Amino acid sequence: MAHKKNRNVGIIGIGQTKHSSHREDVNQPELIHEAVSLALKDANLTMKDIDCVVHGNMELFEMVHSPDLWHVLGTGAYGKDCIRITTGGTVGATLSCASDNLTASGMYDIVMAIGFEKLQEGHTTGGITNMADPLWFRKIQAGALTGSSAYDVEREFGLERANRASLTYRIIMDKHAGLNPNAHRAFGLDFNQIDDLIRTSPKLVGELKLIEMCSQSDGACCVIFACEKKAKEISKTPVWIRDHITVHKEETFSIFGYNREFPVMKTHKFAAEQLFKRNGIKDPLNYFDVFEMYDPASWWAIDWLRDFFDLKGDEHLKLIENKEIMIGGKLPINPSGGVIGSNPIGATALIRVAEAAMQVRGNAGPHQIPTPVNHALASGFGGTMWTVMTMLEKELNW
Amino acid sequence: MTDQFQGIEPMVYKSKINVPYSWWAGDTASKFYLTLRDEKKITATKCVACNKVFLPPRKVCPSCFTENTQWVNVSDEGTLITFTIARRQFAAIPSDRKVPVIWGLIKLDGADTAMLHYLDEIKPESVTIGMRVKAVFSEGRKGNIRDISHFKPVSRV
Amino acid sequence: MAEYWDIKVEDIFNSMQERFRPDGAKDVDAVFGYDILDEGKWKLTVKNNEMKLSKTDDLSGCISTMKADGETFVGVNTGKVDATNAFMSGKVKVEGDMGAFGKTGKLFRKYIIAKKEMTVKEYLADMFATIVPRFKAKEAEGLDAAFAFDLGGPQGGKWTVFIKDKVCTVTTEIEGSPTVTLEFNDAKDYVDFILGKIDAQSILAAGKAAAKGDINMMASKWPILFEKYKDPMGGNVQEQELLVLKKTIAVNQKFSTGPIMGKFLKGLKDKKIYANKCPKCGRLQLPPREVCAECRVRAADFLEVGPKGEVRYMDVVFYAMPDPLTGVARETPYGSINILLDGCKGNETLPHFIRKDQIEKIKSGWNEKKGTRVRPVWEENRIGDIWDIKYFEIDE
Repeated sequence: MAHKKNRNVGIIGIGQTKHSSHREDVNQPELIHEAVSLALKDANLTMKDIDCVVHGNMELFEMVHSPDLWHVLGTGAYGKDCIRITTGGTVGATLSCASDNLTASGMYDIVMAIGFEKLQEGHTTGGITNMADPLWFRKIQAGALTGSSAYDVEREFGLERANRASLTYRIIMDKHAGLNPNAHRAFGLDFNQIDDLIRTSPKLVGELKLIEMCSQSDGACCVIFACEKKAKEISKTPVWIRDHITVHKEETFSIFGYNREFPVMKTHKFAAEQLFKRNGIKDPLNYFDVFEMYDPASWWAIDWLRDFFDLKGDEHLKLIENKEIMIGGKLPINPSGGVIGSNPIGATALIRVAEAAMQVRGNAGPHQIPTPVNHALASGFGGTMWTVMTMLEKELNW
Repeated sequence: MTDQFQGIEPMVYKSKINVPYSWWAGDTASKFYLTLRDEKKITATKCVACNKVFLPPRKVCPSCFTENTQWVNVSDEGTLITFTIARRQFAAIPSDRKVPVIWGLIKLDGADTAMLHYLDEIKPESVTIGMRVKAVFSEGRKGNIRDISHFKPVSRV
Repeated sequence: MAEYWDIKVEDIFNSMQERFRPDGAKDVDAVFGYDILDEGKWKLTVKNNEMKLSKTDDLSGCISTMKADGETFVGVNTGKVDATNAFMSGKVKVEGDMGAFGKTGKLFRKYIIAKKEMTVKEYLADMFATIVPRFKAKEAEGLDAAFAFDLGGPQGGKWTVFIKDKVCTVTTEIEGSPTVTLEFNDAKDYVDFILGKIDAQSILAAGKAAAKGDINMMASKWPILFEKYKDPMGGNVQEQELLVLKKTIAVNQKFSTGPIMGKFLKGLKDKKIYANKCPKCGRLQLPPREVCAECRVRAADFLEVGPKGEVRYMDVVFYAMPDPLTGVARETPYGSINILLDGCKGNETLPHFIRKDQIEKIKSGWNEKKGTRVRPVWEENRIGDIWDIKYFEIDE
């Protein structure tokens, strides 16, 4: 059964800062204000039009608790309803889900979601480790770093093919990031550097190399949601939220058995299957025109492609090897450059929704997909294995 | 609770967090602190839409939501709006401040918002709301809010 | 020898002695190599807070060697090129001991480029020389126009910028009948205008400049046809000092274990590893949890497992992350292993660490293939903590 909604909800305003490793020139609320101002300008609204602000990031990255209080200086929530959300890496995606729900319910007509992080202000890996169960796992974990996905792919397809697929994916993301003026990291990599990078990029954990891991960025993203009536009044190109799904998994890390007799529940696969089934989408690879995927590292990305689209054998690797995921390919993935390109964690999953919506509107900028984008998909990832997926549509006709 | 937990003692497990942080003041607050440090002057930002003067300076006016681009000097003298007194040496009180410690909300002349700071050179029982106070600058200024050591009463002439 | 930003690779090396910081050389006793493409090789010896540099053909004996091309090397040393980006993208490579090379970062003060003033004439030459590379062809769809510049004064000159068929060309005279002509009495004002030092309104209002022809074309099209001009002097504006508050947050915490984790932790004290079993699906949870997360029923049956088992997966961690409890970086590399203890099956693995000197001997399991057999090494004084097991070691 599809998501039940009292009324349709559209995205009518999007604002993003330039993501960067050094925004020493602004403090936290000032950085947020940049994104909020851009979103208001994009929607041609003022703060007076906003009924509710949904604010999110992860406290342990900056160690400012209840940051929504201080951030009021930048969020504009002064004297307004403000709801704060933290769900880990998925927080940005959850902000979008919550804003959709708050608007669809009839509670508010116009809701603004703000995702934010200034990762340079804390220690990302040290911070993440503090999310683990303090009774035992805090002492063992190494942040979000693991080479297990690499091990997976390598076991199945051999080290050489696996490494080349990972680097190909990485370089495609770099090429996309090069087109996105807001992207944090764009190195100007080329495919002829694959062998060199495999050899020289320092290893972090197992086969996971520095070049393959996501960036640590300062940045903010703001998205404005409106009910159908208001969205049509305010915007010429509202992007409709068709459905979203959240799937959680227990916190324990009992996923490392590596035995085909004992398959591990994969939340991406599980979420995608349910979402597509309840919306009657039989061939998602053909249905969607763009996919903004939360890709913390290229290894995870190549492995997850298979989960999201239920691909068989080496279809997922072929999509990468044949560059079908590049702008201009069969299903462009992350025209924005993805999480590998920019990663202000509390904003990251909201940027996926925002970038997917910009593609649907057709005004993403230099990284706009040249062919029409009618159906877009965005994913979020967090915690030990949590998934949030959001489907966006150009027309209200499903 | 069923008897399956019989003989099992819950324990208290000691843990810790230890992570480095660095918070950037941004260009607006930096300018305020640097003027304080280098020139012993208190500066504030002004909203060009509502004319409100913010101290500590804010880059954005929270009600008009416009960027405060104008800087103004405010006086080092002002009025005590309200105050409170700590009579126990809490861990959060800096070690160079001994109880009784008086905190005041001080609205400096020329500013529209009040700023929290220490009151000193006065007995707690003599503090009154509405009294006039003046900033005393610290000797070794480092570019933070304690470059103002405290506020003291303006002596009656 | 090639120059980059007017600086030669030799300049960087020759100034090393005077930029050397004995403070940064404390505890450094090593020989570093520099292999700069087409420029040569250098050997840097640091010992007893002193340095010695020699140009050489032989880089043997270096603990680590940096490889880069001349432009990247000069760029990184002068701040023109972001060092992290250069390293990540493979433009700078370090062979040998990466950690040791990191210490060279503290050895020298930054190379400061002697700033010279650029004359108006030099600015104009640079501005028009960069017109073509700054041209954005895709903005010029269907445009056929000529923009003329007549800039007066002793250092002035004349230029015409033609745009046709999405191609941009520049001549140093005014030819034909331009679409629009911009006239400045003094070329200096034009330079200041482009550098953002004065605004167009005030120049026009003061009668110092005039635009003839299709003024609208100049006002609306010109700014989007070209990338903004970048001042090679970096604006010469003094950057504002930005303040930062740095603090390590250390908070002591106490957590109640509850009876289930309490049993597990207490078990460790007695050299026993307990899992609990879901009465519905039969799977084990390790460490034990009060309910089976999948079946949502209370899992009350405890079972002693292990203590020996096989490694199903090992992460070799090279990244020196800080221990969140102490803030001290862990010594790398270390092996983080997932062990299938005897009595467990499938994914019921326990994470722990392997003995440091055995990392290379560990084989991970895969499907029916078994991984290396390991056993726990217990602490002498156990307190009910995951570190009551010091680490696992190969069970031979």
